[in-house]
Amino acid sequence: MTREAIYERLNAVFQDVFDDEEITVNDATTAADIEDWDSLEHINLVAAVEKEFGIKFTMGQVVTMKNVGEMVDIILKSIG
Amino acid sequence: MSITSFAFLCSFAAVLTLYYLIPKRVQWMFLLFVSILYFLTAGEPWLLFYPAAAITIVYAGALYIDGVKEQKKKKAALSLVVVFCLLMLIILKYCNFGIYTYNALAMRGFWGSGLLSTVQLTIPLGISFYTLALLGYLFDVYYEIAKPQRNFFKFALFGFYFPVIVSGPILRYRNMEEQLYAPHKMDFKQVTYGLQRMVWGFFKKLVIAERLALVVASVYGDYRTYSGFYIPVAVICFAFQLYADFSGGMDIVLGLSEALGIRVAENFRTPYFSRSIQEFWRRWHITLGEWLKDYLFYPLLRTDTFGRLQEICKKRFGKKTGKKLATFVPMFFLWFAVGMWHGGAWKFIVGSGLLHWCYIVGGELLTPLWKRIKVFFHLGADSLFLKAWQQLRTFLLVCAGFLFFRAESFSEGCRMYAAMFFTWNPHILWDGSLLTLGLDAIEAALAVVALIVLLIVSVLQQKEGIRDRIARRNIVIRWVIWYALLFGVILFGYYGPEYSAAEFIYQGF
Repeated sequence: MTREAIYERLNAVFQDVFDDEEITVNDATTAADIEDWDSLEHINLVAAVEKEFGIKFTMGQVVTMKNVGEMVDIILKSIG
Repeated sequence: MSITSFAFLCSFAAVLTLYYLIPKRVQWMFLLFVSILYFLTAGEPWLLFYPAAAITIVYAGALYIDGVKEQKKKKAALSLVVVFCLLMLIILKYCNFGIYTYNALAMRGFWGSGLLSTVQLTIPLGISFYTLALLGYLFDVYYEIAKPQRNFFKFALFGFYFPVIVSGPILRYRNMEEQLYAPHKMDFKQVTYGLQRMVWGFFKKLVIAERLALVVASVYGDYRTYSGFYIPVAVICFAFQLYADFSGGMDIVLGLSEALGIRVAENFRTPYFSRSIQEFWRRWHITLGEWLKDYLFYPLLRTDTFGRLQEICKKRFGKKTGKKLATFVPMFFLWFAVGMWHGGAWKFIVGSGLLHWCYIVGGELLTPLWKRIKVFFHLGADSLFLKAWQQLRTFLLVCAGFLFFRAESFSEGCRMYAAMFFTWNPHILWDGSLLTLGLDAIEAALAVVALIVLLIVSVLQQKEGIRDRIARRNIVIRWVIWYALLFGVILFGYYGPEYSAAEFIYQGF
């Protein structure tokens, strides 16, 4: 799967989790860019991404990923 | 040896000088030696056994977890070490809490009459701080965020690092690893910045906290006499005393460490400017909040049980509400842990824990109502009035919990609330009665001036570090400011041979 294809699905996940159809994310997007992205929503987001891509983030990845770019890197690595 | 004592300051001056004179490659060994020496002199020497045991077990556990391949074995080792460290903490710190709670229930006649007697245990200083720091390291190795430290003595320095072992902040190994063992060149700016921060910490502790402590002690010591409006005055004074005490202690600790070339995580970011309880906890005792978020709250949210609960709630109450409602359960455990961390007493569990959980749950449930009120009064998110109201509301809610923090017990706290609400004496606010609480007119005026200085510094700090601002001024202004602060501490601080400055409040944790 290409990075672009992942972003397409990822945008839909973000829009669904944060209830905002305007959201589009890129490599540099962080929690500071999305109003409702707090520690609680972070876990909801992680769970939704896991469900969408059929993968499982480790706790280390959950607490250390700094932006959406890192999230996409992990997804790419996990789905091969 | 308290860090506010003259003996400590002289010793630190000697340590700082030697630290920059000795070969750079042995600096970390020197720090380890000084740290152990400090622990030996800060309390009873034999108590060194506890942190030493915890450090050894965690060190060995982390190496095993890193070395073994099977996930099951990793998990078993992790559980074993966590249980060991928590058991040590629970037995030493929470044993009497269990006994008190059992006795309180037994006395209310639910069963038998055999009451248990409490046990007198000497608790090593800073047990709650070093235990969490060590466990955080172990979890990081388990989660593969950190590589284990193979040199036992280097790891022992992380566990014993003297500026932070007694009252925090709670260190993260991954943030400290490079700094602790790296050679540090003498940097004039770094050392002066560190010392400046220490002076500011002394100002907060000795000029503000110790002065306000007198008013607080008078009212809390005799709240039946000082009832009604005296109590909110004392609680607000306590809120500032606690902040000046804890954050002042952190300024001293962070300044000490900065002078040694080692930057430690901030623990406060002007918390009384917070606009919500959630924000307050992101700005008050930051390292505790971060620790509990990463190692308790997130793992709870990642359990299958929580996932199932969230699904049930979503089906029953709709996606948005269901998602919110489900999180109240793990949040309850989080706030219970925050309260428990402060000490084995219901006054902490309620006042510093569950009450805040109630605030957050209440705030979330009332969100639609607040939104409607804001629309009705045309209040935008940037409205100054709204901002001021939210800050005041948050401060008062926090103070409502602090009433318990300083009380003898939870039931005493409840009695204080009764004494506050059932006496009507607003006249004490202006008829001079407040000057009978331990501070005469001059002392009270000094306390107010010191609080205004604290407020101005806090406002300025929002935009840029205060030391950078001062450093840009010309030499005369710089020296006037720092000497005024230093002499402010010397002239107006509560210290000296005949006065024993109280221990830092958080030192007991």
